[in-house]
Order: sequence, then structure tokens, then C-alpha cells
Amino acid sequence: MAFSPFITKPSSVSEIMLQVLFALIPGILFYVWFYGPAILVSMLLASLTALATEALMLKLRNRPVAPFLKDNSALLTAWLLALSIPPLAPWWLVVVGTMFAISISKHLYGGLGNNPFNPAMVGYAVLIISFPSYMTHWLTPDGLGDITLGFSDQLNYIFHGILPGDIKLDAVTMATPLDTLKTQLHMNGQMKTILDMPIYGHFAGVGSEWVSFGFLLGGLYLFFRRIISWHIPVAFLVTLFAVSGALHLVDPSRYAPPLFHWFSGAAMLGAFFILTDPVTSPTTPKGRMIFACGAGLLTFLIRVYGGFPDGVAFATLLMNISVPLIDAWTQPAVFGRKDRS
Amino acid sequence: MRRTMAKAALLTALNLTAFALFGTALLAFIYSQTHERIEKSVEAEKLKLISQILPQSLYDNDILKDTIKLSPDPLLGNEGETTAYRARLHGRPSVAVIEAVAPDGYSGKIYMLIAIRENGELAGVRVVSHKETPGLGDYIDIARSDWITGFDGKSNAQYNDDDWKVKKDGGKFDYMAGATITPRAVVKAVHKALQYFALHRDALFAGERK
Amino acid sequence: MSYQEFKDIFYNGMWKQNTGVVQLLGMCPLLAISTSVVNGVSLGLATTIVMALSGAAVAMIRQLVPNEARIPVFILIIAVLVTAIQYLMNAYLYSLYVVLGIFIPLIVTNCIVLARIEAFAARNPAIQSAFDGMAMGLGLTAVLAVLGGLREIMGHGTLLSGIDLALGASAKSLVITVVPDYHGFLLAILPPGAFITLGCLIAGKNWLNQRAEAKRITFTDAIPAA
Repeated sequence: MAFSPFITKPSSVSEIMLQVLFALIPGILFYVWFYGPAILVSMLLASLTALATEALMLKLRNRPVAPFLKDNSALLTAWLLALSIPPLAPWWLVVVGTMFAISISKHLYGGLGNNPFNPAMVGYAVLIISFPSYMTHWLTPDGLGDITLGFSDQLNYIFHGILPGDIKLDAVTMATPLDTLKTQLHMNGQMKTILDMPIYGHFAGVGSEWVSFGFLLGGLYLFFRRIISWHIPVAFLVTLFAVSGALHLVDPSRYAPPLFHWFSGAAMLGAFFILTDPVTSPTTPKGRMIFACGAGLLTFLIRVYGGFPDGVAFATLLMNISVPLIDAWTQPAVFGRKDRS
Repeated sequence: MRRTMAKAALLTALNLTAFALFGTALLAFIYSQTHERIEKSVEAEKLKLISQILPQSLYDNDILKDTIKLSPDPLLGNEGETTAYRARLHGRPSVAVIEAVAPDGYSGKIYMLIAIRENGELAGVRVVSHKETPGLGDYIDIARSDWITGFDGKSNAQYNDDDWKVKKDGGKFDYMAGATITPRAVVKAVHKALQYFALHRDALFAGERK
Repeated sequence: MSYQEFKDIFYNGMWKQNTGVVQLLGMCPLLAISTSVVNGVSLGLATTIVMALSGAAVAMIRQLVPNEARIPVFILIIAVLVTAIQYLMNAYLYSLYVVLGIFIPLIVTNCIVLARIEAFAARNPAIQSAFDGMAMGLGLTAVLAVLGGLREIMGHGTLLSGIDLALGASAKSLVITVVPDYHGFLLAILPPGAFITLGCLIAGKNWLNQRAEAKRITFTDAIPAA
């Protein structure tokens, strides 16, 4: 006869990371279903680059290589970054982003546990600032475009930059639903007619709504395995819902409905997998709520008013840098002392 | 005691004044020695930009002097007065170089110089300043790509209204994948400037100044 | 003034007290203008001239200035010199002046200029002061050149682009294409690239210092005390 708790909490860093990687799988499956297997190639490429960079940096820093390599944290960074980059990105884009994420934003700050910024998001920010045109060409989801690339054609583009025949890149790629929305609004489109475009699927975008749903499933798994607490995902999603919902009620012709914000872009990935990174988020439950509320608000503001397609990455980085301040605010007073000064 | 303090303060003030006077005199001297050259440099720079879109063979007048102020007009997109430079050959109008604004760039206004021949044909277009995303929308700048030279020789006689769009929208103008708002804004503004020119051709060239 | 004195001042400016990577003064122009070698070196040299001349001028007139009016007079001297340089560049190097823009007049506010005047020129003879200003300025120029070079190679894959602005159109052939058909790495050109590259330069200098120090210690250890 067994006693509760039946579900034990995994203990080591390596085991936790493995669970997080496992939880990404439903989202990845949906991804492959809608966009083809190219994403697996970028994930593999990112993983190899991350491990090689990690080993090199550890060696340069005179640290033992094997135990740190096995903690799976570099692998998680690689996967999260690969999932944020368009699957049809040239190979060097993935390599440059991953190398930057692991070397500059992780090891230069002292390695795992000392990095103030989420490495995957730093990698993403570097890429979108430096190579915006590559970063905005997303594969057209299956069934939406006239032409669908086969796997070998996708590989050929990733590694050699060649598309078959006289197909133009524009024929097989498109902007994300979020990006399209911004462009259409800019051209004085009406929200209702825009959201009726085929790209928007049921409520947030063909493909992207299912991928987000997959990440939501994985996130719930992490919650029930007690790897993440509810504070960050709930605070983030509720804030995003509340702000976008309020503005949608005020002016439905200019502001997208809240469900659209939840299920497009990186909202779900951010809520459960990126913002919850224990190293770059606050330590107390109250701090985490403040942190995630800020991220939700910033995500909305950057999506609606900013110059870049999605706001999750920049919102995460901006809140990452506020973590020391939030921690200082929310640290409980030492027992027995009345004043907090 | 108070007297000595006052005296010290006075001396300090005099000292400071002396240095200020000396510095001003020195600068006045340098200014007088350089200002003619500075004005020439500024003019040469402006002429350099204009001459990119205005072939030397098309004019023989002093175009920097032969200008006219254009009041705000929706076809030009300007909110304040802008300048048009008039090029003439043997005393006859040949090209008008108009400053125009595309108000609907991706991140703000795009300022342009548009050179139109007297027959309504574009001699050339240049973007003077813009705030488009680096690496994405900045190919309208001649320093980044020669996209903007695609306007050379185009006219309203040659293209109808539907042609003045980027190819994605069914028009005749190229664009680079990933950034369509920027070229849309530029194409629209050039098209409008041509319409402005057609409406105001005579007024634009009237009253030659030498 | 002895040879050793000159050597010390020069070593101080170029390495030991380098404005760019040790004192970290004058960061604003350092980060904003170091997008290419030509831009960096041009602004560096303009700053050097201002520093050398203002050092000499202050050292010569320091006896005439009452202590209370010291700072305003020094700033006045710097401002006059900077404005003079601005006029001259405007007249003779107009294209370069357009590129460097606001950063030429901003040399006045560069704290390194006043810092050297207060720290050195206000208590040393004119020749030494001029030399100190020059050494400090050249140290800054060297950092700007390296920073500009790295950012230019990473960002555009070229070196010495824009040299025709400084030396005339005939110098255009001096531009070196380091990486042909380069995609361009915008981050290096944008402000974050300046911070990251400067951080790496500072780390590099500290590393060299530490290595030299370690060598010195093992060297002295190896010699038995007499």
C-alpha cells in the first residue's frame, strides 16, 4: 500500500530539465503536423550547437565539462530558441542565435544559476534585431498556401538557401497572424474583416492556435508534476486577458479579442516554459505574480504598439532585469523584526 | 573684511569677463575666416543629393536659388511649407525637384526628394530621411539597395492608377519580402506627387529667380 | 622634461589610465560613434586635438585664474576650442562633419577633457600638459579604432568604409572588404553591440594585465631573495 504524495517532485536539475523538455513534446507534435518536419531540423541543429558551445565555454572557464553538460539546461535553451525561430530559417541563423544565447547571455554571467536574462530570449532578441527579414518569414501552415514544400525541399533551403524551380520565398512563407494583424490594421483594415481572413483559423490562427494548445497541455503537465507553481502562468495569462479584453470591449474594431492574444504568438510558450525559468524569475510567490503581471502587460503593449511582431521575448527580458528589484521588495522581513529597513 | 570679499568677487567677475571676451573674439575671427567655405560646403552637399536624381545635362540655371515655397497639400503630404527646386535649360523649364512626405511609413514619416520632368516623367526619387526598421524596411534608402531607382522614367501616362502599387497588391512595383508597408507608402507618395505636379505644373515653374 | 617623464605620461594615457577601457570616461561618444574605424578615429583625433590644446592653454593661464572661477574658465577654453574645430571641420571636411554630427560639439561635455585638465594641466607645465592631453586622446582614439574596427567587420564585413569622407574621393580604394557577400550582423552596429564589444575589450585588457601580473610574480619568486 502506497501513501501520498503519489506524485513525487523531481529533485535534480537534470531531472527537472528533462521533464520540461518532455512537456514541450505535445506542442512540437502539433508544430510538425501543421508546418512539416523542418522544425525538427532546427531543433537538432540548435541542440548540437548548444552542447558544443556549452562544452567549449566550460573548458575555457576551467569547469568540469561532463556534469554540467548532463544537466540538460543547454538543451532546453536550444529547444526554446528553435521553437521561436521560423522553421524555414537558414542554418546559420539557428547557429548564431544559439551560440550567442549560451556563450554571451549564460556563461559570461557565470553559467547556470547566475544569468540574469533568459538565454533563449536573448538569442531570439539578437536574431530579430539583427536579421529581421529572416525572422519574419514563417512557413505557411499546411493547406493555406498554393504550394507546399516537401521535406527535402525544406532541407535544401535551410542548408543551401535554394528553393525548387522558380518558387519565390513569398509563395511558401507568410507573416505570423500577429504580424498580419498589425499590417492590416496599419492599412486601416477593420478587425472583423481581418479576422475573417483564412489565416486566422478558428480564433487565433491556423496552426498557431493548435501549437499554443499543445504548449498549454505541456504546461499543465508541468504544474501537476509540481515542477512549476501556478503563480507565473496564471498571473501572466490573466493580465494579458484582462488588458486585451478591456480594450476589446472599448473598441472591438481596433483591438483583437483576448483569446486571440492567448493562442497566437508565444503567449502559451512564454507563460509555462519561458517566464517560469527559476533562475531568471523572482523567488517569492508575490514577487512572481508582480513579475508575470508586468510581463503580461508589456507583452500586450509591445504587440499592439511596438515595432516587432511579438512582444513575449522583449517583455520577458525587461521583466528579467527587474527581478532583483522585485526580490528586494517582496523578500519577507526577517522574523522578529518589525521594520523592514 | 566685507570690502575685501567684494573686491575678490569683482576681480573674479572681471577675470571671467576677460576670458569670455577673448574667447568670443577668437571664435569671431575663426568664423569670419570659415563661414564662406561652410556655406559653400552646405550648398555643395545639397547639390550632391539633388544631382543624383537630376542629370547635369538637363539644367544650366542656379537651382539652389531658383526655388519656390509650396504650401501644405495632401498630395505632397507636407504639414509645413516645403521647397521645390526648378531646373531650367536655356531658360525653359526642364525639371522640378519637389520635397514630399510619405506620412504612412511603418515607423513614421518618410521624407523624399522627387524630381519630375516637365513632361510628367520621373527623373528620379531619393529618400532623404526615414525611421524604418533597419534591415527590413530600410531598402528604400539608396545606401542600402537600388530599389528606389525603379521609379526612374515612370510616369502617369505610362502607368494607370492600379499600376501604382507594389506587386503584392497587383501593381507594377517591386518590394522585398517581409516589408511591404514601407514600399507601399513610398509608391503611394510618389504617385500623389505626380498628380500634384500635373495639377500645378504652370504654377511650379512660374516666376524664375536668378 | 626628461625622457622618462614623457614615457610615463604616454604609458599612462595609452594603457594604464586609458580613458576608454580603464577610466571609462566619455562613454557617450565612445559608444555612439564607434560604428566604423573611420568614424571612431575621426572623433578620437578631434578629441585629441581639443585635449592637447586645452591642456596647454590651461597650463599657461592657470596662474591668472582665481580658484573660484577655475571651472567656468576651463570650460570656456574647452568650448572655444571645440567650436573652433567644429567650424574648421564644417568648412574643410563637411561630409565627415555631417556623419559625426552632434558628437563634435558634444566633446565639450565629454568629462574626460575637463577631468585631465583638473587632474593634470592645472598643476603641471604647459609642454607636459599638452603631451598628457595628447596621450590620453590617443589612448581614446586607439580604443575607438579597435571598437569601430570590430563592429564594422561584424556588422558590415568591411574595414575603413567611409574613408573617402575624410581623405577625399580618391581614398575610396582603401576600403577593405573583409568578408565578401556578408549578410550583415545588425546587432554589432546598433547600440547593444557597442556595449557588448566594449565589455569584451575591457575583459581582454584585464586578462592581459592579470597574465602580466602572474608572470611578474612567478618571475620574482624564481629569484631567491638576496
